Amino acid sequence: MSPNRRIGVYVCWCGGNISDVVDVKKVVEVISKESDVVVAKDFMFMCSDAGQRMIEEDVKEKKLDAVVVASCSPKLHELTFRGAVTRAGLNPYMYYHANIREQVSWAHGNDPAEATRKAIRHIRAGVAYLRHAEPLKKIEVKAARSVLIIGGGVAGLRSALDLSRMGLNVYLVEREPFVGGNTAKLWEVYPYKRKGWEVIDSILKDLLGRDNVAIYTNAEVRSVSGYLGNFEVKVEIKPRGFRGRCEDLERVVSVCPIKVPNEYDFGLTNRCAIIAPPYPGAYPEIPSIDWKNCVKCRKCAEVCDQIELDDEVQTVRLKVGAIVVATGFRPYEPRQGEYKYGSSERVLTLPQFMKLVERSGGELKLGNRTIRTVVFIYCVGSRQVPSGDEKVNSYCSRYCCNAVMNLSVRILDRFNGLKLYHLFRDIRTYGKHELMYEEACKKGVIFIKYDENQPPEVLVSGKRTIVRVRDLLTEREELEIPSDLVVLVTGMEPTPNEKLNEILKLPIGKDGFYQEMHPKLKPVETTLAGMFIAGACQGPKDIRESVLSSSAAAAKAATLVLPGRIELEPFTALVDPERCNLSKRCVDECPYGAIQIRRYEGLGEKAWVNEVLCKGCGACVAACPNGAINIRGLTNVQIEEMIRAAGRE
Amino acid sequence: MGVMDQILEKAVEEEEAVSYDVLVVGGGIAGESASLDLADMGFKVLLVEKEPSVGGKMYLLSKVFPTLDCASCISTPRMAAVSHHPNIILHTYSEVLEIRKLSESDFQARILVKPRFVEDDCTGCGQCEKVCPVVVPKEYDFGLRGRKAAYIPFDTAVPKKALIDLDHCIFCGQCERTCPVGAVNFLQVPKVVKVRVRAVLIATGYELFSIERKTEYGYGKFKNVITAMQMDRLLAPTRPFNAVLRPSDGKEPSSIAFVLCSGSRDRTLNNPICSQVCCMYSVKQAQLLMGALPLADVTIYYMDIRAFGKGFEEFYQQAKAMGAMFVKGRVAKIEETENDDLVLWYEDIENGGRISKAVHDLVVLSVGLKPNSEIVEVFKGEVLERDELGWIRSRDENVNPVETSIKGVFAAGCVLGPKDIPDTVLEAGAAAAQVAAYLNEVGV
Repeated sequence: MSPNRRIGVYVCWCGGNISDVVDVKKVVEVISKESDVVVAKDFMFMCSDAGQRMIEEDVKEKKLDAVVVASCSPKLHELTFRGAVTRAGLNPYMYYHANIREQVSWAHGNDPAEATRKAIRHIRAGVAYLRHAEPLKKIEVKAARSVLIIGGGVAGLRSALDLSRMGLNVYLVEREPFVGGNTAKLWEVYPYKRKGWEVIDSILKDLLGRDNVAIYTNAEVRSVSGYLGNFEVKVEIKPRGFRGRCEDLERVVSVCPIKVPNEYDFGLTNRCAIIAPPYPGAYPEIPSIDWKNCVKCRKCAEVCDQIELDDEVQTVRLKVGAIVVATGFRPYEPRQGEYKYGSSERVLTLPQFMKLVERSGGELKLGNRTIRTVVFIYCVGSRQVPSGDEKVNSYCSRYCCNAVMNLSVRILDRFNGLKLYHLFRDIRTYGKHELMYEEACKKGVIFIKYDENQPPEVLVSGKRTIVRVRDLLTEREELEIPSDLVVLVTGMEPTPNEKLNEILKLPIGKDGFYQEMHPKLKPVETTLAGMFIAGACQGPKDIRESVLSSSAAAAKAATLVLPGRIELEPFTALVDPERCNLSKRCVDECPYGAIQIRRYEGLGEKAWVNEVLCKGCGACVAACPNGAINIRGLTNVQIEEMIRAAGRE
Repeated sequence: MGVMDQILEKAVEEEEAVSYDVLVVGGGIAGESASLDLADMGFKVLLVEKEPSVGGKMYLLSKVFPTLDCASCISTPRMAAVSHHPNIILHTYSEVLEIRKLSESDFQARILVKPRFVEDDCTGCGQCEKVCPVVVPKEYDFGLRGRKAAYIPFDTAVPKKALIDLDHCIFCGQCERTCPVGAVNFLQVPKVVKVRVRAVLIATGYELFSIERKTEYGYGKFKNVITAMQMDRLLAPTRPFNAVLRPSDGKEPSSIAFVLCSGSRDRTLNNPICSQVCCMYSVKQAQLLMGALPLADVTIYYMDIRAFGKGFEEFYQQAKAMGAMFVKGRVAKIEETENDDLVLWYEDIENGGRISKAVHDLVVLSVGLKPNSEIVEVFKGEVLERDELGWIRSRDENVNPVETSIKGVFAAGCVLGPKDIPDTVLEAGAAAAQVAAYLNEVGV
């Protein structure tokens, strides 16, 4: 028999989130009659300081030895209340968190009476749990004071610099041959007239040469094992194919027979299978072979002695305490024929147009033609209206309005006689970016609002390109705009990363971007302990927002690994050696390799659990034919008693 | 000059006694989040809040977009956490008077700790509130209801301790006689504490735009024209009337209008920028109102709907699907009818740009944000720079937006520019990282 407990039960209104549906007064009345329940109370916000203080005072005054709080999801506040009971002198695990918001009031808003009964059942189960609970102790492990960063764009680099400056060891893994990501490819970015690569360069200047930073390019994460504080990571590094810089790179490039679209100008031109440093200050500063497209004809090796085509892939194994994922975005690639993209050379995406501008001298030209009129079509690949089962990007890509406004102002300053038409749905130059919109208006950009159900049409006949659109601002007048160039203001999509996603198992949201733990209060945390998301892989962001989120991720990673040790939850499997008959089924079942056979004194060989590796999944509990294994904090007896209590009428 | 001001003039200067790693100014969600990150990394934090409770503006909100979490539910734990963390010392009802940079990573700060006239023994039982005979408008409800002169700021205040508003107190002494622990002490004196800190983080947030200045909208004159912050209070779990009622006659409104860009994107008011949050909080309030008042019509008058953040566009589409009406056009003026209804004059852009009129029985002005950056004045020696509109200037918007013009002084949240809660929390985290990196580099 379990000892008599003195249990306190606290029912939260959650403002009205719970109490608008659940009759909290009735719940308190019923529960206060349960055996072992010494006190039961309700309160508007149990998680507030006042609520926590009430619990602490009750624990001391009424000599409680266990506490149930019935409120929101334990994901939100289990730790809050464990803290409160600990301050009052109880063991933090003499606590049960009953979820009567997500699982009751929110789920059964249309049936208050049944919701109230369900809340009572939840709490009764909690009381039963605590009758059989025992004080537990956290498991303390050492944490590696190092962090892995996946992705070397502006976000990854910012995180790396912050963590390095905080005194942690940093390993940065970049899949491409150069760091810098999308940012490095951009022309002048707002709010200063700085080029994308200059932004990257100003971070790199600080980062390179720090002795606690290792940067791997042409590298990919192949496996991640271990746990928070002690991840083991395998990274594969492809050779660059170059031992050093080439004397005459132009000649080397010219002998290569391969032609593929050049991703560094978004496919505007072609490149060969040798990728030269694509912008000033690119890191590393030596070229790389593009192994995917190289046919090893060795013509390049004949003209340059720095080239080595037979180096092997290297593998490094890293031990890190935390992981920051900063894999960024890719620009939306319009479908073939979407606004004549792909079929007319006079239809470009926004990133391609930026490259065109960057390359132009005093005159904006496409081929030999001078460009006088440009039509920008907004929201291409963003805010798509769903039709049928087709997967669409229903989200707003956030940065595009600002980017196109900035670009327009800059090109109007630079080229004479340009006429710009912006075909938009809403102008979302939020915050201070509004000033760029104002400037664009003043400089004579013409804004035409289109209806998402009647999008513009691009018509090409011979040498003429015409954009037809109905303007909502002038009584849906149909306009035909002859244009030299149509620019599709394309949004962001998550970088495709199937292999990495399989390895990390990070949760992914409906929009395809990584899902944060809580959109407001935990924007860089994920449900996987020790793994953080930074930059545009979490959702569209501009440069400023990306570096903020990566610094925030760095802060969170640092709070975990800076102290050098981490406490793990004690909910691990425990073998009763006297009941174990060495069936070894648990050893086979355990997905984490946490169970071994060991010699116990006086009992011989029996199963034994390495509690640092054990995740408390319970597979061994179910497999054991003798019922010799229990999970601490969730024993078989507790589960049975909870079911019995919840089922009671 | 009020009684309190006279008392504050007599503050007693204390000798410098303690030093901290970081001084965080402002106890809203930005200051709290950054303080907790820094404290978790092992730094000693001094958090100073000028109001009698931490919580800032976020605490006041009802549910927050785009997930409709209850704001107080998710912010109260963070408020409680800063008061419990062993590495955080919290001074509420205190103001920073002076910050002087002595040398790299060495700042001297003077902080005025105002007297609450209630000792720390206060248990927050609220007996003093009950007996106090004086009623004044409650700051936390933007005047929608009253509070006493002896009062606890709100139910879940941190610290949950009473204070006495001496400017309105009539010295009847009832609170003193009633207090069960004898905590009321009218003889408390203000003190000025001197501290040394190695870094400073400014998180003083924003003020609401004073929309009285837009006289065409009649705020302050027409009873049924309220601000969106007042609407948020009407919708909050700690709401004053437990219902949404219009002020003039206590009637449930049946036709509610939102006027977006009230005090934003408006050169005539010298605030040309967009306030970044008003579209979304209005869309949120529209959704909540359709739940609270199923029969009421909700119309949103807008210039552009700026649903730019993660999940925002979907949230906007949801409001449309629920039946909120969106009218593109700026409201030119508002007039009051005899029965306190309101006539909105606006340009109906999607219908040929005609000048149109519509009658509503409650109008919500979606007011913008203004910087709360007067803190720059306490800096002595070096200048903490602001931009033309008064927001703290970032040293580098692209590379490190939370650094300011003074090395060792950082900023986060709305004091840098208008922003929503997700962006504020990101900035707070970023600031914590930059402070930690700075402290680690400058050494002890």
